[in-house]
Amino acid sequence: MELKINIKGKEYIVNVEENGNEVKVIVNGKKHVFNSSTGIEDISFSHSPSNNNHSKEIKASIAGIVSDISVKQGENIKAHQKLLTLSAMKMENEIYSETNGKIKKVLVKVNDKVKEGDILIILE
Amino acid sequence: MKIIEFETISSTNEKAKELAINGTLPWTVIVSEKQEIGHGTKGASWFSPKGGLYFSVILPQNNIHDSQTITILAASIVAKTIKEMFNLEPMIKMPNDVLINGKKFCGILTENIIIGDKLKLSVIGVGIDTNIDEFPEELKNIATSVKIETNKEVNNKLILNKIIEKIKNQFKTL
Repeated sequence: MELKINIKGKEYIVNVEENGNEVKVIVNGKKHVFNSSTGIEDISFSHSPSNNNHSKEIKASIAGIVSDISVKQGENIKAHQKLLTLSAMKMENEIYSETNGKIKKVLVKVNDKVKEGDILIILE
Repeated sequence: MKIIEFETISSTNEKAKELAINGTLPWTVIVSEKQEIGHGTKGASWFSPKGGLYFSVILPQNNIHDSQTITILAASIVAKTIKEMFNLEPMIKMPNDVLINGKKFCGILTENIIIGDKLKLSVIGVGIDTNIDEFPEELKNIATSVKIETNKEVNNKLILNKIIEKIKNQFKTL
């Protein structure tokens, strides 16, 4: 769940993820972890995954044909930058990066057919 | 339902995406009397002079498969609306073109923006050749308009309202 909150003119993007007793609240990329069984005392802070060094795979959300690739290997990218376009049943699906990062590998070419779940791009 | 009207615009889908990104509410409709860079899939151009009906709708939060379904259903909704209003016999060329007497008069293009693996927004664009008197040479044999087929001027606003209402009703069933 993503919320946009404006407090005195400053905008906060808040994401809430729940997994069992653990509740993650990510405010402008900074993660706050709560444990609902122990309450607010169990707060821990950590950086968003966007700032770590793990590889991230960009997968096809739907089967289709790669109609445009906007990035190349080695390129530094910013969050919400367009990576590629996938055409599926006459729908144009523009895929944007969720995070800042670097393109480790582009695994597809324009006009490649891909299946849902296929890895398109790997970020580092 | 809010309708934002333009005399001319580069593309109703581009404007709808821009507005949606900036928080414009779902079911807002962007309609323009003509488009400067009307386009279909893979950037194919769509002849969009004054007289046609060109609009895009910001869809509510959905999933990508619902988005695909509504694209296909929109073609059927356009065909049904034109049949009911003008007693014509439109045919659907799957998944997103509508023809009369073998000639195309409507194209539909849904555009999704996916951030990471989450569908953030969807817009559906519809271009209907309604009051187009004539087409350029290269389109003459493959395109037609409602006016050419009926020999009369049609009411774009009425057609728009009927189609939007049907899309909204259909969306509720997904």
